[in-house]
Amino acid sequence: MDLPVFLGEPNNMDKPTISGDTIKIPSTLDYLADVDMFVENLLRRYGIDESVIADIAISVSELVNNAVCHGNKSSPDKKVTVRVGREDSSVKISVADEGTGFDPDGIESPIADENLLKKVGRGIFIVKSLMDSIEFKLSDKGSLVIIKKAV
Amino acid sequence: MKLSTWEQDGVVVFEPKGKIMGGPDASLLNDKLHDYIEKRMSKVVINLAQVDWMNSTGLGILISSYTTIRNNDGELKLANVTDKIRSLLTITKLVTVFDSYDSVEDALKSFK
Repeated sequence: MDLPVFLGEPNNMDKPTISGDTIKIPSTLDYLADVDMFVENLLRRYGIDESVIADIAISVSELVNNAVCHGNKSSPDKKVTVRVGREDSSVKISVADEGTGFDPDGIESPIADENLLKKVGRGIFIVKSLMDSIEFKLSDKGSLVIIKKAV
Repeated sequence: MKLSTWEQDGVVVFEPKGKIMGGPDASLLNDKLHDYIEKRMSKVVINLAQVDWMNSTGLGILISSYTTIRNNDGELKLANVTDKIRSLLTITKLVTVFDSYDSVEDALKSFK
């Protein structure tokens, strides 16, 4: 007689999980749109102007791209966590990965003539341009990037 | 993001709709653009009228298509660049690279 196979609890970490103001995703770009929808919906609930929502959404997509590809190096065991917070007159969003960190000062300027036609390397530059502040907290257990935008 | 394409007088017009942020949708746009380039369709217009926004992945697709097409003696032109995308092109200085037109019709005419 075949014994039933015990599969255990469903592994929810293969999908995005949402808890309050936080969304956690596996390290794949397949879930970028889920993060975007989550963040934009929360910001819309705060009554923020659509143009500002777009700037924040663009910035979050850059940071999640970096966290998945450069931070976690698309490792299936590692997660990216995005948290959205509202302060008095600003929005604060943190993006955390579980990678080994990177050097934000080591990024070449994408607007230098020799880099202008390169396919990659504009992400953090765009975030710095669109947001009021960006803060990096780096360790060998992961990177945390915090952006703020007045609303 | 959704994508439709059509051709007129040897020019391919790409019409993405939604957001270009990376992931599977952006790969589709990138692959389709490069498919056409490989088929020697080297006159391309990208109509951005219905693109809500794009990030550096979208800009990367535009610039890599631009350089590949130019290396094949073709041209890539943008039409209906929205304010949001124009500001990104300005921030990144790519506004100096692309030819952009107020309508697809104007972009098509520019090839004649």
